[in-house]
Amino acid sequence: MTYSQPRTEAAQGRLAFRSVTKRYGPTVALSEFTHEFAPGRVHALMGKNGSGKSTLIKLLAGVTEPTSGTISVNGKDQAFTSPHDAFDAGIVTVHQELSLVPELSVGENIFLGRLPHVRRAGFRVVDWKGLHRRATELLSDMGLSIDSRQPVSALSVGQQQVVEIVKAMSFNPSILLLDEPTSALASKEVKQLFALIERLRARGVTMIYITHRMSELFEIADTCTVIRDGHYIGAVEMRATSPSEIVGMMFGDAARTTRPPRQAIDRGKPLLEVRGLTRAGHFNDVSFDLYRGEILGIAGLLGSGRTELMRAIFGADRIDAGTVRLQGRSMTGATPSQMRAAGLGYTPENRKEVGLVQALPTADNLCMASLGPIARGGIISRRREQPFIDRQIADLHIKCGDPELPVSSLSGGNQQKVVIGKWLNTAPSVMFFDEPSRGVDVQAKRQIFDIIWQKASDGLSSIFVSTELEEVLEVADRILVMHHGNVVAEVDPTRTDLTQLYGLCMEGASQ
Amino acid sequence: MTLVSQTAEGGGQNLSLRLLKTYPMEIILAGLVLFLILMAPGFASTANILNVLRTVAMLGIIAFGMTAVIVSGEIDLSVGAGVALSGCIVAWFADAYTDTIGGWSAVILGFAVALTVGFSLGYLTGRFRQWFNVPTFITTLALFAALRGVANLITGGFPLSTFPAGFDFLGGGYLFGIPFPVYIFALTFAAMHFLMKYTSFGREVYAVGGNMEAARLSGIDIWKVKALTLGLTGALTAISGTLIASQIGAGTGTTATGMELDVIAAVIIGGTSLFGGKGRIWGTLIGVLFLGCISNGMTLMNVSEYWQYVVRGGIILGAVLLNQVLERVR
Repeated sequence: MTYSQPRTEAAQGRLAFRSVTKRYGPTVALSEFTHEFAPGRVHALMGKNGSGKSTLIKLLAGVTEPTSGTISVNGKDQAFTSPHDAFDAGIVTVHQELSLVPELSVGENIFLGRLPHVRRAGFRVVDWKGLHRRATELLSDMGLSIDSRQPVSALSVGQQQVVEIVKAMSFNPSILLLDEPTSALASKEVKQLFALIERLRARGVTMIYITHRMSELFEIADTCTVIRDGHYIGAVEMRATSPSEIVGMMFGDAARTTRPPRQAIDRGKPLLEVRGLTRAGHFNDVSFDLYRGEILGIAGLLGSGRTELMRAIFGADRIDAGTVRLQGRSMTGATPSQMRAAGLGYTPENRKEVGLVQALPTADNLCMASLGPIARGGIISRRREQPFIDRQIADLHIKCGDPELPVSSLSGGNQQKVVIGKWLNTAPSVMFFDEPSRGVDVQAKRQIFDIIWQKASDGLSSIFVSTELEEVLEVADRILVMHHGNVVAEVDPTRTDLTQLYGLCMEGASQ
Repeated sequence: MTLVSQTAEGGGQNLSLRLLKTYPMEIILAGLVLFLILMAPGFASTANILNVLRTVAMLGIIAFGMTAVIVSGEIDLSVGAGVALSGCIVAWFADAYTDTIGGWSAVILGFAVALTVGFSLGYLTGRFRQWFNVPTFITTLALFAALRGVANLITGGFPLSTFPAGFDFLGGGYLFGIPFPVYIFALTFAAMHFLMKYTSFGREVYAVGGNMEAARLSGIDIWKVKALTLGLTGALTAISGTLIASQIGAGTGTTATGMELDVIAAVIIGGTSLFGGKGRIWGTLIGVLFLGCISNGMTLMNVSEYWQYVVRGGIILGAVLLNQVLERVR
């Protein structure tokens, strides 16, 4: 038997950080982090994107090593150099993405890589009976009635998440890291997961729980630890705190940067009219108007349906119901090429993967969406394209050296500008900017915002999406809030603060 | 002064290295030709060179189309069978209609039908990928088997050779001392080079092959692009098939067996990436010339047919390895 028996005594997981710092080159991801996580409790870890949360998890999982400082487990200093070390110290991580093999059975997945063996007629063969007996024990131990012989692919996402945790628990850890375990779950499945967490807490397992959902914190966590910009901000007992205190700790007094004065928007006839748009499982019954020269922000957490909504309007994904009108023309069910012809442009959130053809030169990428208009009679040459290439490089301050080199050689910010330039070459009347500031340095981010404001004052209508709510507040003229695929609120950024917007994004309209 | 001369020397070294990196297959081809001139008896004779060019032409006409298909991220395994089918269609029309509408009219009608069938099969292969998500590898593998069957059904399993007088000129004749197919070959090269480099369609082929989703999100009709490249290759296959039927003086179901592999090999040797998005018509020209020279040279040097297969296999693998290594060095 190669697997360990469950301990009968309560597992003790005392976890302490002392002045832990992690640098990536000049960037400080985690700075002098000092905190002790009390054993046998559920500790929520909160912080906005880029706050250092993931760095903390990576350090604990042994994926990276701290630049300085020490992590101790049960009073013993640890220096993890590999995930295996973390494992040996009793720390197991359940990652956000499931790591199960869909075609294999539940039991096989739980014991993957350490299948029990027996000798039969001199041959060492897998002990299937023993495996499923052990798996069933583990499952029922957690209060689950899942058949260990059925393939994982037959389970719901929620059940898969639970199997993932059972698998983690089969290593009998004293500390369990849960990275956004509920992000893909329906509310009923969340209940099941929470029941499992309660059970583990009763056994004395220490859990670090990462989530963006404020309501869950108050339901399941005992304490909440907040980090911001790599610094430890504080830890509060859930019994003695409020959502607004936690949001305040997460964002600090984030200064609102001043944006250029925006001219009044003529709300006469809308340029883009969306009515009752639905894509099952992604967003429901979304309606809004967009006016000439307006920047409409869409705020929402990851998975709220923002990106899916824009892709569907652009024609990249099918829609199940609803209508889209652009400049008075019905464009429901149009293809991306028809939407482009009608004057809509879309810069996708993952520019590296789908925004650019990395192997082709910057020049080719800049002209990719406007080959038709640039060519004469289908014939095209660099001489013909050159003005279109030069104009965007100059206007958008793209630093690319030689535009004939592959676009992959450019920095993230400049690549983003190439994506924007590609679309500005089509002379669009409406632009969708999906996460244009992601993975872009501060200066490039300012330049991109300036471009959006500049084009808006020239009459371009745009939709602006960002995970960073401060940016949405700063850039947009009006904000729609999406939650679980529904538009739950429309707010005026000049009369809304970050706490309110964050609350709306997390809780929907209920709060 | 020493510094200057050192830099100049370094620059010279860099230049030859750069040449080797930029034109690897061109240099290897030149080396091969030099070797064959010296070592293979009769290689450099005019008659032999024209013979090589004629063989290369039949292969090359299709290979230029195949380059576009592979750059767009697809594959066509059915061109060998397509050649046989086209030849049989032309021969069948000549056989059936010479008495009623005259030999040349029958051949022209047959050619038009072969061209239409070739284009349509390719185009539909592309649309199949779109509508039913069937990889072109599978569809064209099915066509690879089926088309040869159809070709034999048309001819009843026997060569059909009722062609009008002068038809043999197309595949076997000379114009100003150069085999006629070579003109078609040169024309196809020029047209495909222009199409891939100087038309918006060509640019779209590279974009679609380089990143299908990025191309789609740029408003490019990716399925139309793929279907058209496949259709184009089907049409070029019909042209080559007709020339081959003319050269051998018959339409038979057994023509051009294994030709699809030579065509794909030429494209790959020419530096086109099977992953799509990368490749040049010029490279394919080098590739077909290379294949043509090597098999002719080996025959002249009395290398056994079996060894020829082994060498060809080695060359395909070697060319791909070379490209991968150069990719890393660049």
